[in-house]
Amino acid sequence: MSLRRLPSEERLLAYAAGTLSPPEAVVVATHLALRPETRVWSDLGQAVGGGVLEDLEPSALDAGALDKTLALLDLPEPQEPTVRLDKTDPTLPAPLRGFELGPWRWLGPGVRVRDVLGPRDGDCRVILLKIAPGQSTPRHTHGGVELTCVIEGAYATESGVFEEGDFEEADPSVLHQPRVVSSKPCLCVAALDGQIQLPGRMGKLLAPFVKL
Amino acid sequence: MNAAQGDGGALITRIAETQDRAAFAELFQHYAPRVKTLLVRSGSTPSAAEELAQEVMLAVWRKAHYFDPKRASAAAWIFTIARNLRIDSLRRGSSALYAVDLNLGAEEPPQPDAILSGMQDAQIVRSAMQTLNPDQSQAIEMAFFQEQTHSQISEALGVPLGTVKARIRFGMMKLRAFIEREAGVAS
Repeated sequence: MSLRRLPSEERLLAYAAGTLSPPEAVVVATHLALRPETRVWSDLGQAVGGGVLEDLEPSALDAGALDKTLALLDLPEPQEPTVRLDKTDPTLPAPLRGFELGPWRWLGPGVRVRDVLGPRDGDCRVILLKIAPGQSTPRHTHGGVELTCVIEGAYATESGVFEEGDFEEADPSVLHQPRVVSSKPCLCVAALDGQIQLPGRMGKLLAPFVKL
Repeated sequence: MNAAQGDGGALITRIAETQDRAAFAELFQHYAPRVKTLLVRSGSTPSAAEELAQEVMLAVWRKAHYFDPKRASAAAWIFTIARNLRIDSLRRGSSALYAVDLNLGAEEPPQPDAILSGMQDAQIVRSAMQTLNPDQSQAIEMAFFQEQTHSQISEALGVPLGTVKARIRFGMMKLRAFIEREAGVAS
């Protein structure tokens, strides 16, 4: 079987249905922005959502629901809550531009990480990772699901090369050590569930200092 | 109601162009009760669903100028607004994200013509859904309700997770192939 670098059809349907967790949805949306050809599946999911909606039994509404709504039509639209623009990055793909970002943190030689603030689901959250050419992240296994989308550059794992727009779903049983193979730094967005577990002696040594 | 015959898009366009309140009322009568059902089946209480359904229709009025009948059917577009407002109401921090999907793909290069024109045709989409076998159609419909993860669907149906994923995957492929074929014939 060839290496898959797109989200699965079932994950894209869950994205369209709005049932993915927010961190997972952010990574899928980034992939969709960089790879418009995948949008056919999420658009299809939305089209099916329309079909599902159309076929539902109507529920009775409160008396006067329509009049109540009609009375609101001419009111000014409430302002959307705004983010602090100086904390966002307009050079990121569109789905990431609306989020404030935490400061870059050091995570080992040539590896930096920053939080994408907002999308969370329990322990699952979104980070940006920037890895210098030729560098690897420490070998690690995953506590939970890790979804990654490459924004710039490219990395290689045991299973293959991932380039701009590619989407990777990490298998929790696999030891993971992505290594940057592009000449420029590799920038990725990832949804992490739980803490990354660094195996071995090096992992034990680093664990108190490295908080992903 | 004409929205059921595929005229919902024309009503939204009338709202966008002339703030047509009669068009809005017609759209409301058809879709608000269905949006309420969708929200209840997604886990909202009936009173929260009632309030949210009215908010969804208000958003349809305010965002009508984003609607592009060449990209989405009225039902798919209203479904997407309902989905976004439901996510917002859960306050899980992703509202900034889904706004992108409302103007379905405006920034992107167009999809291949057949699939695109097929997907905005509510009739073709519903005919496609009728070609699914019962297992595929059940797995796909369940994915839309109650925050169902694929593992929860697997538990509810008593079939392995891999089977649920395969039913969804093959169902989606079948829908796509049918829509492309139908739209290709029609054009």
